[in-house]
Amino acid sequence: MGEGRSTEPQQLIEHFFRHESARLISVLTRAFGVRYLDLVEEKVQEALARAVEAWRFGGVPSNPSGWIYRVARHLVLDALRREKIHRRAMALSQQTEEGLTSLLDEWMDDDQVPDSLLRMVFVCAHPALERRSQLALTLKVLCGFSLAEIARGLLTTVESAKKRVQRAKKTLARSGVRTDLPAEGELKQRLAAVHDVLYLLFNEGYSTTRGHGPLRDEMCEEAARLCHLLCEQPSLSTPETRALLALMLAHSSRLAARVDADGDAVLLADQDRTLWDRRLISAAQYWLDRSKTERPGRFHFQAAISLVHCRARTPDATDWPQIVALYDRLMTAEASPIYALNRAIALGESGDVDRALAELESVRTSPELRDYALVDCAAGRLHELRGDPGAARRHYDAALQATPAAHSRRIIKRRIAALEPRGLRIDKPS
Amino acid sequence: MAKFMFLLRGGNCDQERSPEEMQQSMQAWGEWMQNGTDAGWLLDPGTGLTSEGRVVQEDGRVIDGPFAESKEWVGGYCIVQANDLDAAAGIAKSMPQAGAAIEVRELMVHDAE
Repeated sequence: MGEGRSTEPQQLIEHFFRHESARLISVLTRAFGVRYLDLVEEKVQEALARAVEAWRFGGVPSNPSGWIYRVARHLVLDALRREKIHRRAMALSQQTEEGLTSLLDEWMDDDQVPDSLLRMVFVCAHPALERRSQLALTLKVLCGFSLAEIARGLLTTVESAKKRVQRAKKTLARSGVRTDLPAEGELKQRLAAVHDVLYLLFNEGYSTTRGHGPLRDEMCEEAARLCHLLCEQPSLSTPETRALLALMLAHSSRLAARVDADGDAVLLADQDRTLWDRRLISAAQYWLDRSKTERPGRFHFQAAISLVHCRARTPDATDWPQIVALYDRLMTAEASPIYALNRAIALGESGDVDRALAELESVRTSPELRDYALVDCAAGRLHELRGDPGAARRHYDAALQATPAAHSRRIIKRRIAALEPRGLRIDKPS
Repeated sequence: MAKFMFLLRGGNCDQERSPEEMQQSMQAWGEWMQNGTDAGWLLDPGTGLTSEGRVVQEDGRVIDGPFAESKEWVGGYCIVQANDLDAAAGIAKSMPQAGAAIEVRELMVHDAE
Protein backbone atom coordinates (compact mmCIF):
# COMPACT_ATOMS: atom_id res chain seq x y z
CA MET A 1 0.00 0.00 0.00
CA GLY A 2 2.89 2.30 0.74
CA GLU A 3 4.46 2.53 -2.69
CA GLY A 4 1.72 4.63 -4.24
CA ARG A 5 2.62 7.51 -1.98
CA SER A 6 5.87 8.56 -3.57
CA THR A 7 4.25 9.07 -6.96
CA GLU A 8 1.00 10.94 -6.59
CA PRO A 9 -0.95 10.72 -3.37
CA GLN A 10 -4.69 10.70 -3.87
CA GLN A 11 -6.12 13.95 -2.58
CA LEU A 12 -9.44 14.28 -0.79
CA ILE A 13 -11.77 16.97 -2.01
CA GLU A 14 -12.45 19.85 0.37
CA HIS A 15 -14.80 18.97 3.25
CA PHE A 16 -14.85 15.35 2.10
CA PHE A 17 -15.24 13.92 5.61
CA ARG A 18 -17.90 16.42 6.56
CA HIS A 19 -20.05 15.69 3.54
CA GLU A 20 -19.37 11.97 3.67
CA SER A 21 -20.66 11.99 7.24
CA ALA A 22 -23.90 13.65 6.07
CA ARG A 23 -24.34 11.22 3.18
CA LEU A 24 -23.77 8.13 5.31
CA ILE A 25 -25.95 9.26 8.20
CA SER A 26 -28.76 10.10 5.79
CA VAL A 27 -28.63 6.84 3.86
CA LEU A 28 -28.17 4.59 6.90
CA THR A 29 -30.90 6.35 8.85
CA ARG A 30 -33.21 6.00 5.91
CA ALA A 31 -32.56 2.26 5.97
CA PHE A 32 -32.73 1.63 9.71
CA GLY A 33 -35.14 4.35 10.80
CA VAL A 34 -34.92 7.62 12.67
CA ARG A 35 -34.99 5.76 16.00
CA TYR A 36 -31.45 4.55 15.24
CA LEU A 37 -30.15 7.97 14.25
CA ASP A 38 -28.02 8.13 17.38
CA LEU A 39 -26.42 4.75 16.78
CA VAL A 40 -25.90 5.49 13.10
CA GLU A 41 -24.20 8.78 13.91
CA GLU A 42 -21.86 7.12 16.39
CA LYS A 43 -20.89 4.39 13.94
CA VAL A 44 -20.34 6.80 11.08
CA GLN A 45 -18.03 8.78 13.32
CA GLU A 46 -16.17 5.58 14.13
CA ALA A 47 -15.90 4.69 10.45
CA LEU A 48 -14.41 8.10 9.70
CA ALA A 49 -11.92 7.66 12.54
CA ARG A 50 -10.90 4.28 11.13
CA ALA A 51 -10.41 5.83 7.74
CA VAL A 52 -8.03 8.36 9.27
CA GLU A 53 -6.08 5.60 10.99
CA ALA A 54 -5.81 3.51 7.84
CA TRP A 55 -5.29 6.19 5.23
CA ARG A 56 -2.64 8.21 6.94
CA PHE A 57 -0.25 5.32 6.47
CA GLY A 58 -1.43 3.72 3.28
CA GLY A 59 -2.73 6.79 1.52
CA VAL A 60 -6.26 7.48 0.39
CA PRO A 61 -7.77 4.54 -1.55
CA SER A 62 -9.09 5.04 -5.05
CA ASN A 63 -12.69 5.00 -3.83
CA PRO A 64 -12.57 6.66 -0.40
CA SER A 65 -16.32 7.04 -0.22
CA GLY A 66 -16.94 3.34 -0.83
CA TRP A 67 -14.29 2.43 1.74
CA ILE A 68 -15.91 4.39 4.54
CA TYR A 69 -19.37 3.24 3.52
CA ARG A 70 -18.43 -0.44 3.80
CA VAL A 71 -16.88 0.11 7.22
CA ALA A 72 -19.86 2.13 8.47
CA ARG A 73 -22.36 -0.42 7.15
CA HIS A 74 -20.47 -3.21 8.86
CA LEU A 75 -20.23 -1.29 12.14
CA VAL A 76 -23.95 -0.48 12.20
CA LEU A 77 -25.06 -4.02 11.35
CA ASP A 78 -22.60 -5.40 13.87
CA ALA A 79 -23.83 -3.08 16.62
CA LEU A 80 -27.45 -3.96 15.91
CA ARG A 81 -26.65 -7.67 16.04
CA ARG A 82 -24.73 -7.34 19.29
CA GLU A 83 -27.39 -5.36 21.02
CA LYS A 84 -29.91 -8.06 20.17
CA ILE A 85 -32.21 -5.47 18.73
CA HIS A 86 -31.25 -6.64 15.32
CA ARG A 87 -34.24 -8.84 14.77
CA ARG A 88 -36.58 -6.12 15.88
CA ALA A 89 -34.91 -3.60 13.62
CA MET A 90 -35.10 -6.02 10.74
CA ALA A 91 -38.75 -6.72 11.47
CA LEU A 92 -39.44 -3.01 11.57
CA SER A 93 -37.74 -2.41 8.27
CA GLN A 94 -39.45 -5.53 6.84
CA GLN A 95 -36.19 -6.53 5.20
CA THR A 96 -33.72 -9.35 5.39
CA GLU A 97 -30.15 -8.35 6.06
CA GLU A 98 -29.19 -9.20 2.49
CA GLY A 99 -32.11 -7.23 1.16
CA LEU A 100 -31.21 -4.29 3.32
CA THR A 101 -27.58 -4.41 2.26
CA SER A 102 -28.41 -4.36 -1.40
CA LEU A 103 -30.90 -1.56 -0.81
CA LEU A 104 -28.19 0.39 1.01
CA ASP A 105 -25.75 -0.23 -1.84
CA GLU A 106 -28.31 1.16 -4.24
CA TRP A 107 -29.03 4.23 -2.11
CA MET A 108 -25.31 4.96 -1.79
CA ASP A 109 -25.14 5.39 -5.55
CA ASP A 110 -24.16 8.99 -6.32
CA ASP A 111 -27.41 9.63 -8.18
CA GLN A 112 -29.46 8.32 -5.29
CA VAL A 113 -27.76 10.00 -2.35
CA PRO A 114 -29.49 13.40 -2.78
CA ASP A 115 -32.83 11.70 -2.22
CA SER A 116 -31.70 10.43 1.19
CA LEU A 117 -30.16 13.80 2.07
CA LEU A 118 -33.39 15.60 1.23
CA ARG A 119 -35.41 13.22 3.37
CA MET A 120 -33.04 14.02 6.20
CA VAL A 121 -33.43 17.76 5.58
CA PHE A 122 -37.13 17.35 6.29
CA VAL A 123 -36.49 15.18 9.35
CA CYS A 124 -34.18 17.83 10.83
CA ALA A 125 -36.73 20.59 10.16
CA HIS A 126 -39.57 18.49 11.57
CA PRO A 127 -42.35 20.53 13.25
CA ALA A 128 -42.04 18.41 16.42
CA LEU A 129 -38.74 20.22 17.09
CA GLU A 130 -38.07 23.74 18.28
CA ARG A 131 -36.48 26.00 15.74
CA ARG A 132 -33.09 26.20 17.53
CA SER A 133 -33.05 22.41 17.78
CA GLN A 134 -33.78 22.14 14.09
CA LEU A 135 -30.74 24.33 13.41
CA ALA A 136 -28.49 22.34 15.74
CA LEU A 137 -29.61 19.00 14.35
CA THR A 138 -29.21 20.15 10.75
CA LEU A 139 -25.65 21.23 11.50
CA LYS A 140 -24.91 17.94 13.21
CA VAL A 141 -26.50 15.53 10.79
CA LEU A 142 -26.40 17.28 7.42
CA CYS A 143 -23.35 19.50 7.73
CA GLY A 144 -21.12 17.13 9.70
CA PHE A 145 -20.45 19.69 12.43
CA SER A 146 -19.17 18.49 15.80
CA LEU A 147 -20.91 19.66 18.96
CA ALA A 148 -18.05 22.08 19.57
CA GLU A 149 -18.48 23.52 16.09
CA ILE A 150 -22.26 23.78 16.56
CA ALA A 151 -21.70 25.59 19.84
CA ARG A 152 -19.37 28.07 18.17
CA GLY A 153 -21.70 28.47 15.19
CA LEU A 154 -24.85 29.05 17.20
CA LEU A 155 -23.15 30.96 20.02
CA THR A 156 -23.95 28.52 22.77
CA THR A 157 -22.03 26.14 25.02
CA VAL A 158 -20.96 22.65 23.97
CA GLU A 159 -23.04 21.29 26.82
CA SER A 160 -26.25 22.94 25.71
CA ALA A 161 -25.61 22.11 22.05
CA LYS A 162 -25.23 18.50 23.15
CA LYS A 163 -28.45 18.59 25.16
CA ARG A 164 -30.31 20.17 22.30
CA VAL A 165 -29.16 17.56 19.80
CA GLN A 166 -29.84 14.67 22.17
CA ARG A 167 -33.29 15.97 23.03
CA ALA A 168 -34.11 16.50 19.37
CA LYS A 169 -33.18 12.92 18.54
CA LYS A 170 -35.31 11.61 21.38
CA THR A 171 -38.25 13.72 20.30
CA LEU A 172 -37.97 12.46 16.75
CA ALA A 173 -37.81 8.85 17.90
CA ARG A 174 -40.70 9.29 20.32
CA SER A 175 -42.84 10.99 17.69
CA GLY A 176 -42.24 8.11 15.32
CA VAL A 177 -40.91 10.46 12.64
CA ARG A 178 -40.14 8.70 9.40
CA THR A 179 -37.70 9.50 6.64
CA ASP A 180 -40.43 9.87 4.04
CA LEU A 181 -40.70 13.06 2.05
CA PRO A 182 -43.80 15.00 3.12
CA ALA A 183 -47.06 14.09 1.41
CA GLU A 184 -48.42 16.53 -1.13
CA GLY A 185 -50.97 17.98 1.25
CA GLU A 186 -48.40 19.12 3.80
CA LEU A 187 -45.48 19.68 1.44
CA LYS A 188 -45.92 23.44 1.19
CA GLN A 189 -45.89 23.94 4.93
CA ARG A 190 -43.03 21.52 5.58
CA LEU A 191 -40.98 23.08 2.79
CA ALA A 192 -41.55 26.53 4.29
CA ALA A 193 -40.10 25.21 7.58
CA VAL A 194 -37.06 23.90 5.70
CA HIS A 195 -36.64 27.31 4.05
CA ASP A 196 -36.77 28.96 7.46
CA VAL A 197 -34.13 26.63 8.89
CA LEU A 198 -31.76 27.14 5.97
CA TYR A 199 -32.37 30.90 5.95
CA LEU A 200 -31.61 31.16 9.67
CA LEU A 201 -28.56 28.92 9.32
CA PHE A 202 -27.29 31.19 6.59
CA ASN A 203 -27.93 34.31 8.64
CA GLU A 204 -26.20 32.86 11.69
CA GLY A 205 -23.16 32.37 9.50
CA TYR A 206 -23.39 35.66 7.69
CA SER A 207 -24.02 37.98 10.60
CA THR A 208 -20.81 39.79 11.49
CA THR A 209 -22.08 40.75 14.94
CA ARG A 210 -21.47 37.14 15.89
CA GLY A 211 -17.76 37.03 15.28
CA HIS A 212 -15.89 35.75 12.28
CA GLY A 213 -13.70 32.96 11.05
CA PRO A 214 -13.89 30.17 8.51
CA LEU A 215 -16.61 28.34 10.44
CA ARG A 216 -19.06 31.18 9.85
CA ASP A 217 -18.39 31.24 6.11
CA GLU A 218 -18.77 27.48 6.08
CA MET A 219 -22.20 27.73 7.67
CA CYS A 220 -23.22 29.96 4.79
CA GLU A 221 -21.74 27.51 2.31
CA GLU A 222 -23.52 24.59 3.92
CA ALA A 223 -26.89 26.37 3.94
CA ALA A 224 -26.45 27.23 0.26
CA ARG A 225 -25.36 23.67 -0.53
CA LEU A 226 -28.50 22.21 1.03
CA CYS A 227 -30.68 24.82 -0.66
CA HIS A 228 -29.06 23.94 -3.97
CA LEU A 229 -29.95 20.32 -3.31
CA LEU A 230 -33.60 21.35 -2.95
CA CYS A 231 -33.36 23.27 -6.22
CA GLU A 232 -32.28 20.15 -8.06
CA GLN A 233 -35.33 18.19 -6.98
CA PRO A 234 -38.30 19.18 -9.21
CA SER A 235 -40.97 18.82 -6.52
CA LEU A 236 -38.99 20.98 -4.08
CA SER A 237 -37.55 23.49 -6.52
CA THR A 238 -40.34 26.03 -6.05
CA PRO A 239 -39.96 29.75 -6.86
CA GLU A 240 -39.37 30.35 -3.12
CA THR A 241 -36.60 27.72 -2.96
CA ARG A 242 -34.87 29.25 -5.97
CA ALA A 243 -35.25 32.79 -4.64
CA LEU A 244 -33.76 31.65 -1.33
CA LEU A 245 -30.78 30.18 -3.15
CA ALA A 246 -30.41 33.40 -5.14
CA LEU A 247 -30.45 35.35 -1.89
CA MET A 248 -27.79 33.13 -0.31
CA LEU A 249 -25.54 33.28 -3.38
CA ALA A 250 -25.86 37.05 -3.75
CA HIS A 251 -24.94 37.58 -0.11
CA SER A 252 -22.17 34.97 -0.30
CA SER A 253 -20.51 36.94 -3.08
CA ARG A 254 -19.57 39.48 -0.39
CA LEU A 255 -18.34 37.01 2.23
CA ALA A 256 -14.68 37.84 1.71
CA ALA A 257 -15.28 41.59 1.73
CA ARG A 258 -17.55 41.84 4.75
CA VAL A 259 -14.82 41.57 7.39
CA ASP A 260 -11.40 43.18 7.52
CA ALA A 261 -8.12 41.57 8.58
CA ASP A 262 -8.99 42.13 12.26
CA GLY A 263 -12.36 40.47 11.84
CA ASP A 264 -14.29 43.73 12.11
CA ALA A 265 -17.37 44.14 9.96
CA VAL A 266 -16.88 46.32 6.91
CA LEU A 267 -19.98 48.27 5.94
CA LEU A 268 -21.30 47.79 2.44
CA ALA A 269 -20.24 51.27 1.39
CA ASP A 270 -16.66 50.68 2.57
CA GLN A 271 -16.18 47.22 1.10
CA ASP A 272 -13.51 46.52 -1.48
CA ARG A 273 -15.84 45.61 -4.32
CA THR A 274 -13.10 43.89 -6.29
CA LEU A 275 -13.30 41.18 -3.62
CA TRP A 276 -16.90 40.43 -4.52
CA ASP A 277 -17.22 37.06 -6.18
CA ARG A 278 -18.57 37.70 -9.69
CA ARG A 279 -19.18 34.01 -10.25
CA LEU A 280 -21.55 33.86 -7.28
CA ILE A 281 -23.28 37.04 -8.40
CA SER A 282 -23.96 35.48 -11.82
CA ALA A 283 -25.22 32.33 -10.16
CA ALA A 284 -27.51 34.37 -7.91
CA GLN A 285 -28.90 36.17 -10.95
CA TYR A 286 -29.37 32.84 -12.72
CA TRP A 287 -31.52 31.46 -9.89
CA LEU A 288 -33.45 34.69 -9.38
CA ASP A 289 -34.28 34.71 -13.11
CA ARG A 290 -35.67 31.22 -12.66
CA SER A 291 -37.75 32.05 -9.59
CA LYS A 292 -40.52 33.94 -11.34
CA THR A 293 -43.92 33.63 -9.72
CA GLU A 294 -47.13 35.61 -9.53
CA ARG A 295 -46.70 35.97 -5.81
CA PRO A 296 -43.06 36.76 -5.05
CA GLY A 297 -42.19 36.59 -1.37
CA ARG A 298 -39.55 37.90 1.02
CA PHE A 299 -36.74 35.80 -0.48
CA HIS A 300 -37.40 37.22 -3.94
CA PHE A 301 -37.20 40.83 -2.81
CA GLN A 302 -34.28 40.31 -0.48
CA ALA A 303 -32.38 38.59 -3.27
CA ALA A 304 -33.28 41.36 -5.70
CA ILE A 305 -32.12 44.04 -3.25
CA SER A 306 -28.88 42.20 -2.65
CA LEU A 307 -28.30 41.96 -6.39
CA VAL A 308 -28.86 45.68 -6.92
CA HIS A 309 -25.93 46.23 -4.56
CA CYS A 310 -23.93 43.54 -6.34
CA ARG A 311 -24.36 45.33 -9.66
CA ALA A 312 -23.00 48.66 -8.39
CA ARG A 313 -19.28 48.88 -9.08
CA THR A 314 -18.99 51.81 -6.65
CA PRO A 315 -21.28 52.84 -3.77
CA ASP A 316 -22.26 55.97 -5.72
CA ALA A 317 -23.43 53.84 -8.62
CA THR A 318 -26.04 52.13 -6.44
CA ASP A 319 -29.56 52.34 -7.83
CA TRP A 320 -31.14 53.55 -4.58
CA PRO A 321 -34.59 54.36 -6.00
CA GLN A 322 -34.85 50.76 -7.16
CA ILE A 323 -33.86 49.54 -3.72
CA VAL A 324 -36.56 51.74 -2.15
CA ALA A 325 -39.12 50.29 -4.55
CA LEU A 326 -38.01 46.76 -3.71
CA TYR A 327 -38.28 47.44 0.02
CA ASP A 328 -41.82 48.68 -0.57
CA ARG A 329 -42.72 45.39 -2.17
CA LEU A 330 -40.81 43.38 0.43
CA MET A 331 -42.80 45.09 3.17
CA THR A 332 -46.08 44.15 1.57
CA ALA A 333 -44.89 40.54 1.55
CA GLU A 334 -43.65 40.66 5.15
CA ALA A 335 -43.86 43.58 7.56
CA SER A 336 -40.77 44.22 9.70
CA PRO A 337 -39.39 47.34 11.36
CA ILE A 338 -35.91 46.27 10.24
CA TYR A 339 -37.04 46.47 6.62
CA ALA A 340 -38.62 49.87 7.34
CA LEU A 341 -35.33 51.04 8.80
CA ASN A 342 -33.37 49.86 5.79
CA ARG A 343 -35.93 51.40 3.48
CA ALA A 344 -35.51 54.76 5.25
CA ILE A 345 -31.74 54.61 4.71
CA ALA A 346 -32.23 53.74 1.04
CA LEU A 347 -34.68 56.61 0.71
CA GLY A 348 -32.13 58.99 2.23
CA GLU A 349 -29.37 57.67 -0.05
CA SER A 350 -31.63 58.22 -3.03
CA GLY A 351 -31.93 61.91 -2.11
CA ASP A 352 -35.11 62.27 -0.08
CA VAL A 353 -33.45 62.78 3.30
CA ASP A 354 -36.28 64.68 4.99
CA ARG A 355 -38.87 62.04 4.28
CA ALA A 356 -36.37 59.37 5.26
CA LEU A 357 -35.83 61.02 8.64
CA ALA A 358 -39.58 61.31 9.18
CA GLU A 359 -40.02 57.61 8.42
CA LEU A 360 -37.15 56.71 10.68
CA GLU A 361 -38.90 58.52 13.54
CA SER A 362 -42.01 56.42 13.03
CA VAL A 363 -39.91 53.24 13.18
CA ARG A 364 -38.19 54.36 16.38
CA THR A 365 -41.33 53.69 18.42
CA SER A 366 -41.55 50.08 17.32
CA PRO A 367 -40.83 47.83 20.32
CA GLU A 368 -38.50 45.59 18.31
CA LEU A 369 -36.17 48.49 17.65
CA ARG A 370 -36.42 50.40 20.89
CA ASP A 371 -33.10 49.19 22.25
CA TYR A 372 -31.53 49.02 18.90
CA ALA A 373 -28.61 51.34 18.27
CA LEU A 374 -29.29 50.74 14.59
CA VAL A 375 -31.92 53.49 14.54
CA ASP A 376 -29.39 56.02 15.78
CA CYS A 377 -26.80 54.77 13.34
CA ALA A 378 -29.31 55.20 10.54
CA ALA A 379 -30.26 58.65 11.77
CA GLY A 380 -26.58 59.57 11.95
CA ARG A 381 -26.08 58.49 8.37
CA LEU A 382 -29.15 60.44 7.20
CA HIS A 383 -27.97 63.63 8.91
CA GLU A 384 -24.61 63.07 7.32
CA LEU A 385 -26.29 62.91 3.91
CA ARG A 386 -28.15 66.06 4.76
CA GLY A 387 -24.87 67.85 5.43
CA ASP A 388 -25.37 68.22 9.19
CA PRO A 389 -22.35 66.63 10.88
CA GLY A 390 -23.34 68.04 14.28
CA ALA A 391 -26.65 66.18 14.34
CA ALA A 392 -24.99 63.12 12.85
CA ARG A 393 -22.44 63.18 15.66
CA ARG A 394 -25.18 63.35 18.31
CA HIS A 395 -26.88 60.28 16.90
CA TYR A 396 -23.65 58.32 16.52
CA ASP A 397 -22.78 59.19 20.13
CA ALA A 398 -26.19 57.93 21.24
CA ALA A 399 -25.64 54.72 19.27
CA LEU A 400 -22.23 54.32 20.89
CA GLN A 401 -23.78 54.65 24.34
CA ALA A 402 -26.23 51.85 23.59
CA THR A 403 -23.66 49.52 22.04
CA PRO A 404 -21.59 47.31 24.29
CA ALA A 405 -19.95 45.05 21.67
CA ALA A 406 -16.41 46.23 21.02
CA HIS A 407 -16.34 45.55 17.30
CA SER A 408 -19.66 47.35 16.72
CA ARG A 409 -18.30 50.30 18.69
CA ARG A 410 -15.25 50.44 16.45
CA ILE A 411 -17.48 50.71 13.39
CA ILE A 412 -19.45 53.58 14.89
CA LYS A 413 -16.26 55.32 15.99
CA ARG A 414 -14.96 55.04 12.47
CA ARG A 415 -18.11 56.76 11.21
CA ILE A 416 -17.60 59.53 13.75
CA ALA A 417 -14.00 59.97 12.67
CA ALA A 418 -15.16 60.22 9.07
CA LEU A 419 -17.37 63.17 10.04
CA GLU A 420 -14.35 65.42 10.66
CA PRO A 421 -13.99 68.11 7.99
CA ARG A 422 -11.68 66.85 5.30
CA GLY A 423 -9.08 69.56 5.80
CA LEU A 424 -8.56 68.55 9.40
CA ARG A 425 -8.28 64.88 8.74
CA ILE A 426 -4.85 63.49 9.05
CA ASP A 427 -4.32 61.55 5.89
CA LYS A 428 -2.73 58.17 6.12
CA PRO A 429 0.72 58.10 4.54
CA SER A 430 0.40 56.33 1.24
CA MET B 1 22.92 7.03 8.86
CA ALA B 2 21.02 4.79 11.22
CA LYS B 3 17.51 3.47 10.85
CA PHE B 4 14.80 4.05 13.39
CA MET B 5 11.38 2.66 13.95
CA PHE B 6 8.63 4.97 15.15
CA LEU B 7 6.05 3.14 17.20
CA LEU B 8 2.86 5.12 17.56
CA ARG B 9 1.33 4.44 20.92
CA GLY B 10 -2.21 5.52 21.54
CA GLY B 11 -5.42 4.08 20.21
CA ASN B 12 -8.22 5.64 18.39
CA CYS B 13 -8.34 9.24 19.49
CA ASP B 14 -10.77 10.48 16.88
CA GLN B 15 -14.07 9.95 18.63
CA GLU B 16 -14.33 13.54 19.76
CA ARG B 17 -12.96 15.16 16.66
CA SER B 18 -15.18 16.65 14.01
CA PRO B 19 -15.04 15.28 10.47
CA GLU B 20 -13.40 18.51 9.38
CA GLU B 21 -10.68 18.21 12.02
CA MET B 22 -10.07 14.61 11.03
CA GLN B 23 -9.59 15.64 7.45
CA GLN B 24 -7.20 18.40 8.45
CA SER B 25 -5.14 16.04 10.56
CA MET B 26 -4.96 13.57 7.70
CA GLN B 27 -3.90 16.33 5.37
CA ALA B 28 -1.14 17.35 7.77
CA TRP B 29 -0.05 13.74 8.08
CA GLY B 30 0.04 13.32 4.32
CA GLU B 31 2.20 16.40 3.96
CA TRP B 32 4.57 15.14 6.64
CA MET B 33 4.94 11.82 4.83
CA GLN B 34 5.44 13.57 1.52
CA ASN B 35 8.14 15.78 3.04
CA GLY B 36 9.86 12.70 4.39
CA THR B 37 9.74 10.93 1.06
CA ASP B 38 11.00 13.97 -0.83
CA ALA B 39 13.78 14.66 1.69
CA GLY B 40 14.70 10.99 1.82
CA TRP B 41 14.46 10.40 5.57
CA LEU B 42 11.25 8.39 5.37
CA LEU B 43 12.33 4.88 4.41
CA ASP B 44 9.02 3.11 4.93
CA PRO B 45 5.74 4.92 5.58
CA GLY B 46 4.67 1.82 7.48
CA THR B 47 1.11 1.05 8.27
CA GLY B 48 -1.55 1.34 10.94
CA LEU B 49 -2.60 -1.57 13.10
CA THR B 50 -6.19 -2.41 13.93
CA SER B 51 -7.22 -2.49 17.56
CA GLU B 52 -8.09 -6.19 17.56
CA GLY B 53 -5.54 -8.92 18.11
CA ARG B 54 -4.57 -12.12 19.87
CA VAL B 55 -1.79 -12.67 22.32
CA VAL B 56 -0.11 -16.08 22.39
CA GLN B 57 1.32 -16.46 25.87
CA GLU B 58 4.45 -18.36 26.94
CA ASP B 59 2.39 -21.36 27.97
CA GLY B 60 0.70 -21.44 24.60
CA ARG B 61 -2.58 -20.02 25.73
CA VAL B 62 -4.17 -17.63 23.28
CA ILE B 63 -6.00 -14.66 24.69
CA ASP B 64 -7.97 -11.94 23.01
CA GLY B 65 -6.75 -8.48 22.36
CA PRO B 66 -3.47 -6.68 22.80
CA PHE B 67 -2.02 -6.68 26.30
CA ALA B 68 -1.80 -3.07 27.04
CA GLU B 69 -4.18 -0.37 28.04
CA SER B 70 -5.61 1.35 24.99
CA LYS B 71 -3.30 4.28 25.70
CA GLU B 72 -0.34 1.98 25.21
CA TRP B 73 -1.49 0.18 22.08
CA VAL B 74 0.80 0.30 19.17
CA GLY B 75 -1.44 1.92 16.59
CA GLY B 76 1.06 1.99 13.76
CA TYR B 77 4.69 2.28 12.78
CA CYS B 78 7.01 3.76 10.21
CA ILE B 79 10.75 3.65 9.57
CA VAL B 80 13.00 6.66 9.10
CA GLN B 81 16.69 7.26 8.80
CA ALA B 82 18.63 9.85 10.76
CA ASN B 83 22.14 10.55 12.06
CA ASP B 84 21.39 9.61 15.62
CA LEU B 85 18.66 9.08 18.16
CA ASP B 86 18.30 12.79 18.87
CA ALA B 87 17.88 13.63 15.21
CA ALA B 88 15.29 10.85 14.91
CA ALA B 89 13.43 12.20 17.93
CA GLY B 90 13.46 15.59 16.22
CA ILE B 91 11.75 14.07 13.21
CA ALA B 92 9.22 12.35 15.47
CA LYS B 93 8.51 15.68 17.08
CA SER B 94 7.55 17.15 13.72
CA MET B 95 4.92 14.46 13.24
CA PRO B 96 1.44 15.97 13.19
CA GLN B 97 0.09 13.51 15.69
CA ALA B 98 -2.51 14.54 18.23
CA GLY B 99 -3.00 12.41 21.28
CA ALA B 100 -0.46 9.66 20.71
CA ALA B 101 3.04 9.13 22.01
CA ILE B 102 5.78 8.15 19.58
CA GLU B 103 8.39 5.67 20.70
CA VAL B 104 11.61 6.04 18.75
CA ARG B 105 13.80 2.91 18.58
CA GLU B 106 16.97 2.33 16.63
CA LEU B 107 17.10 -0.79 14.45
CA MET B 108 20.05 -3.06 15.25
CA VAL B 109 22.52 -3.54 12.45
CA HIS B 110 24.18 -6.97 12.33
CA ASP B 111 26.19 -6.99 9.17
CA ALA B 112 28.50 -4.06 9.56
CA GLU B 113 30.39 -3.28 6.38
